[in-house]
Amino acid sequence: MPESEGESVVPAGGTAVVERPAEEALTQTPWVTIVWDDPVNLMSYVTHVFVSYFHYPKAKAEKLMMQVHTDGKAIVSDGSREAMERDVTAMHEYGLWATLDKSGD
Amino acid sequence: MKRFQRRRGGVITTRLSGYEVELLTSLVHQLVELVSDGEPEGLRPAEESGDLFEQLTRDLQVDPDEPEVSDDPVLRRLFPTAYPHDAAASSDFRRFTERDLKVKKVRDAELVLGRLTETGEGERDLKIPREEADAWLRTLTSVRLAVAARLGITDAETAEQLAELSDEDPRSFMVSVYDWLGFAQETLISAL
Repeated sequence: MPESEGESVVPAGGTAVVERPAEEALTQTPWVTIVWDDPVNLMSYVTHVFVSYFHYPKAKAEKLMMQVHTDGKAIVSDGSREAMERDVTAMHEYGLWATLDKSGD
Repeated sequence: MKRFQRRRGGVITTRLSGYEVELLTSLVHQLVELVSDGEPEGLRPAEESGDLFEQLTRDLQVDPDEPEVSDDPVLRRLFPTAYPHDAAASSDFRRFTERDLKVKKVRDAELVLGRLTETGEGERDLKIPREEADAWLRTLTSVRLAVAARLGITDAETAEQLAELSDEDPRSFMVSVYDWLGFAQETLISAL
């Protein structure tokens, strides 16, 4: 049945076009480093860590620190899983409570 | 103690009493013992020998009797779980990074202990070169996290309750130590 075959080709092609970017997005989804609020670390110290380790400008570091403080957490960096594991390890060296996760989760 | 000050050449200084030197030295020693499981020597040679194979073998050794995540709230806070939703990934992360993290914490702590010794039990000023400031801040943080965990500080509320303890409360001494460490850290940061 050429007609139905024709019909089936169209959605299949359409699906492929939709799926490919989705798969790519999945494998390329950057990971993120999340810093969580804790009752011990001083606000000045958290800002210092963001400036010292990430080399963020003071204003950006303070904004992230305030986000951790008021929202309970903040995404402080994103990138490959390897890079985020390095950042999380560095945050643990500084005694900040950090985890990594896939972006958008 | 007085506030930390920055001198010419970037050296950060303060004056500690003999008692303060003794107290901080003791707390940092306790941190080293805790982090290294009583064997700080075991965390030294690996890095110096640079034997990658030896290092890998040790990293892959798993003691079946030793729980991967410690029961001790202090260790749990110093070595947090990296992947809260993925136990297998967290376990791998620990296996490959925790030893290095311990080595770094011990190395930072030893820099601190060295500068404390140089004060001659508080006879001389404490002098911290600018490049060692982060090692100091990290160590003060680890000690504060340890003291906070022992005091049961888990959120802003428990922290506030402790601030209102009476002097007779057995915890009031540790609370004063915790506040002192916070003062040291805050003024060290503002001296940078």
